[in-house]
Amino acid sequence: MSGTEMSSAEGVRVFDAHRIAGPVPGEPAADPAGLLADLDHLGIDACAVTTSAELLGDPAGAPARDAARTWSARARFLPVPVIVPAVAGAGWPADVDELLATPPAMVRICPRRHRFDPHGPVASAWWAALAGHGVPVALDVTECGLDTAAALARAWPELGLLLLTPGYRELRRLAELLDTAPGVRVETGTLVAAGAVEWLARRFGAHRLVFGSGAPRWDDAGARFLLDHLELPESDVALIAAGSAAALIGQRWPW
Amino acid sequence: MIIDAHGHVGGWDQFLVPQPSADWLVATSSRIGIDVTGISHLVAVGYDTRLGNRLALAEAARFPGRLGVWLVADPHDPDGPRVADDLLDTPGVWGFKLHPDTHECPVTDSRYGPYLRRAVERGVPVLSHSQTRSPYSDPADLAEVVDRHPGLTLLAGHAGLWQDGFVRAAELAAAHDGLYLEICGSRLTARWLERLVAIAGAERVLFGTDATFLDPRAGLGKVVNSRLSAHERDLVLGGNAARLLGARLNPER
Repeated sequence: MSGTEMSSAEGVRVFDAHRIAGPVPGEPAADPAGLLADLDHLGIDACAVTTSAELLGDPAGAPARDAARTWSARARFLPVPVIVPAVAGAGWPADVDELLATPPAMVRICPRRHRFDPHGPVASAWWAALAGHGVPVALDVTECGLDTAAALARAWPELGLLLLTPGYRELRRLAELLDTAPGVRVETGTLVAAGAVEWLARRFGAHRLVFGSGAPRWDDAGARFLLDHLELPESDVALIAAGSAAALIGQRWPW
Repeated sequence: MIIDAHGHVGGWDQFLVPQPSADWLVATSSRIGIDVTGISHLVAVGYDTRLGNRLALAEAARFPGRLGVWLVADPHDPDGPRVADDLLDTPGVWGFKLHPDTHECPVTDSRYGPYLRRAVERGVPVLSHSQTRSPYSDPADLAEVVDRHPGLTLLAGHAGLWQDGFVRAAELAAAHDGLYLEICGSRLTARWLERLVAIAGAERVLFGTDATFLDPRAGLGKVVNSRLSAHERDLVLGGNAARLLGARLNPER
């Protein structure tokens, strides 16, 4: 699908920046056709896809590589590979140069699950390289904690960071982080305290907020409805729906 | 008619609620099509039941027909059942709200008995927080309560709250007359809603949002955008609540 072809029922392009593809424990299995049907059902034009095989399994293993190939072969899916910065032979990919040989639009990290030090010398070299190439990093606040995310944001202000699943209980800390860390964007799907999305948008700008759901573990249906009913100017809604993600991803935005 | 069976007004100690007011709740509900919301005041849930109930009644009086009131039941107030009973006929009152976790009193505790017996006698429903594995409000304990009190209508708020308990909560609702599932909560997705309805039956599932603790738009969207049938959606969104609340939905009764 080309950029000009993207549309939704409301006339606003919608990009879900956070989807998990493939088997997820406790959720019905979905194949690529099923995810496309979900997107159509909710009026979502395209989505960022991280496979469960990379996220919940060994990112370097054959099943993860197979899953990544399977799910990347669709025009409406933007692959977000999981990376593991580590010494040679312990991470994925082998080194940051291999990763940047074909730079992805965005990468995802799981410092706690994969037990690497996001402030260690290896990871620091990767962050510097990613920042230099304009590749943003997504990380799940429920996985690594807001402290880790905030420390990374403050140590690497030039690195684009997308905070996934921030939840509804951390508005004060999120606000302080948005105020002091210019590289940070926040996913909206779990910002479900009453009026939270508008509260952040009016203080820090809609360009800091990115629509994403975290489906199927998190709810996409309510998040999508909330997007349609925000009390914000249309231009702000368009930013949250897709424009902020496009700006974060930059030249590798595919649509 | 769309009836939000689980709402609040007021701020909360543990995090910032940007829009805690009844004015915002009613205005937002109007914009998205929610006709009426049953509220308890978070002051009552949190620390002062009598004050919070008075505040909730005052808000309901400002918005007759748009806000109903769940009177919070305080298990630690020896005179609480009488005070609450005196308020049951106040226009707009829907029934009792139990929060065993914030009050640190198991839902099966004898101190809730007077409220539950009065609810049966007066034919009013009870909404209780429920939380899988909680020592205070596990759905199995709510099922025990409805078994102890024949005729009681008990809504399990949040349907047990955690995803790993939803199936068991739905099975309990299907197996225990009087036990219903209310669906608000950030972990209850549209996919889970569809599964709850498949297990418990659409007649046993009620729409709720937890507004203004949570955003009512996210809560309504998970029902509106679910793949329930039109009949199932109508029951969940308001048909079941209207049946259970009866004349109490009418503030002029």
